[in-house]
Amino acid sequence: MTKKFTLTPYFFLVPAVAAIAVFVLYPIFAVVYYSFTDYSIVTPPIWVGLRNYQQLFHDSIFWKALEHSFIYLLVTPTLIILSMVLAIIVNRKLPGISAFRAVFFIPVISGSIAVGIAWRLMLDTNGIINGILLAVGALKEPIQWLAEPALTLPLCMLLTVWLGAGYYMMIFLAGLQNIPEELYDAAVIDGCSSWQKHWYVSIPGLRPQITFVAVISSLAALQVFNEVFTLTGGLGGILQSGYTVVYYLWQQAFRLSHAGKASAIAMVLLVITLLFSVMNIRLLESGTEAEA
Amino acid sequence: MMPLSRPVNEHSRARGRQAFENALIYLILTAVGLVTVFPFLWVFFTSFKGTADAVYSVPPQLIPLHPTLANYVRVWNLLPVWRFYLNSIFVVLSVVVLNTLFSSLAAYPLAKMKFKGRSAIFYMLLATYIVPSALTAIPSYILAVQVFHYYDHIQAVIFPYLATVFNIFLLRQAFKGVPDDLIDAGRMDGASELRIWWDIVMPVVRPSLATVAIITFVEQWNNFFWPSLMLPTLANKTLQVGLVAMQGAFVSDSRGIAAGVVMTVVPMIVFFAALQRQFIQGLTGAVKG
Repeated sequence: MTKKFTLTPYFFLVPAVAAIAVFVLYPIFAVVYYSFTDYSIVTPPIWVGLRNYQQLFHDSIFWKALEHSFIYLLVTPTLIILSMVLAIIVNRKLPGISAFRAVFFIPVISGSIAVGIAWRLMLDTNGIINGILLAVGALKEPIQWLAEPALTLPLCMLLTVWLGAGYYMMIFLAGLQNIPEELYDAAVIDGCSSWQKHWYVSIPGLRPQITFVAVISSLAALQVFNEVFTLTGGLGGILQSGYTVVYYLWQQAFRLSHAGKASAIAMVLLVITLLFSVMNIRLLESGTEAEA
Repeated sequence: MMPLSRPVNEHSRARGRQAFENALIYLILTAVGLVTVFPFLWVFFTSFKGTADAVYSVPPQLIPLHPTLANYVRVWNLLPVWRFYLNSIFVVLSVVVLNTLFSSLAAYPLAKMKFKGRSAIFYMLLATYIVPSALTAIPSYILAVQVFHYYDHIQAVIFPYLATVFNIFLLRQAFKGVPDDLIDAGRMDGASELRIWWDIVMPVVRPSLATVAIITFVEQWNNFFWPSLMLPTLANKTLQVGLVAMQGAFVSDSRGIAAGVVMTVVPMIVFFAALQRQFIQGLTGAVKG
């Protein structure tokens, strides 16, 4: 290979690197700076030092949003268990099984906004959900699904699980199909029942997929917005019951023009995301070491 | 006679158990399938209900007895839905084409060339991967208003997606799998790197290009957060943003909103039905890179 210096590789990289530098790299530095300023976007930023962070520290709504975002992480174990069970169920040769797999995948591609709006209509106090529950006799009085603060977050999380289960199922399914058949045969010879063999063979064999799903779904959960936005009609729920970190950031930045405070929230979010990624990579590494 | 009859018995019992397990599995599949499909069915049927068919009643009525297109007509007349479609199609096509192009351009030298700063660039890209999009939205908004002056213009929802780290990494992995001999043969023939990339490398990784295109397509069609910030004027909105505006304009008109939801979701479901295998492989196959 010739060792002479050439500009060729840089020409290849310029368009993409320029776009990422402007729309991702620059914003990180800008947000760090804005987070130390009072900035309404219309007037230039004014340096205020740590004031935004101090305010956030004493802001009970921020703490509530933070708490909600951590509660939201419960979708991760739910998704792992549900999608893994679904994958085990659809991982067999039965007539029509691929049609079921395809149907389970529909929510993944149909978009959280449209689906969220449909859910909102269905969950109306006079809606079909109450209609069914009343007709079957499961309820005596209609439930105000969308006006009950205690239900806001669980419903958003349910929507997240509903939207994502089919996607993660496919990932687990791909993993299951890589597990050698002999391992199952050996488990059966060792006296495993058909469900026990999944406990002893499938779950250990799906370890890389479990880690992947844990990483992806928890990062998504920490950044949830669309589900909260649609189910609460853009208002964040009664008594801030649906406020998450990103919802609060959005409200501060784009509804109230508090770009400084929103940037401080963004910094907190970045730190949490970083910590999570590092933690997850550690887990991933310890997992592969154990396998090697 | 016991020793003879026992295996037969056990065999038929095993078959009985198998049949029972299969029945149980179909039962679970149908239940999950119903939970998955029900919102779509309900929205679909509701969108064809006229005033004669109740949307809310106990016991609930799912299927319209007097189906009508009136809701679609009303939505179509009140809102520039065709503009939403055109805007969405324009944005999705532009981003899919440009992003795939720029991401694969960048991925090629990262996979197949040795040059100064390669690992620096690689790690810079890697570091930006986990940055939350809500964070980048704040400065990007300010850039849009103060520097690029494309606030409320369609470019505003295309430019930030000209290249994505995820796609670059995915294609870099694919390019790494292309044999060096193939590329060296091209270099021997005196082909420029651009020709080698386009004529030799790109055709080999076609499946990965399809993966990138499908991921980008679904992401862009359903993209909401950034477009909702950038496109305040009704005629400039994409479908997802338009749908939320529709929801606001039709507050108590569930039939109208349902028609809007159907119009937003149907194109994607039709695409999915037509290209099922490619969609599922594309969206989940990316995991392995």
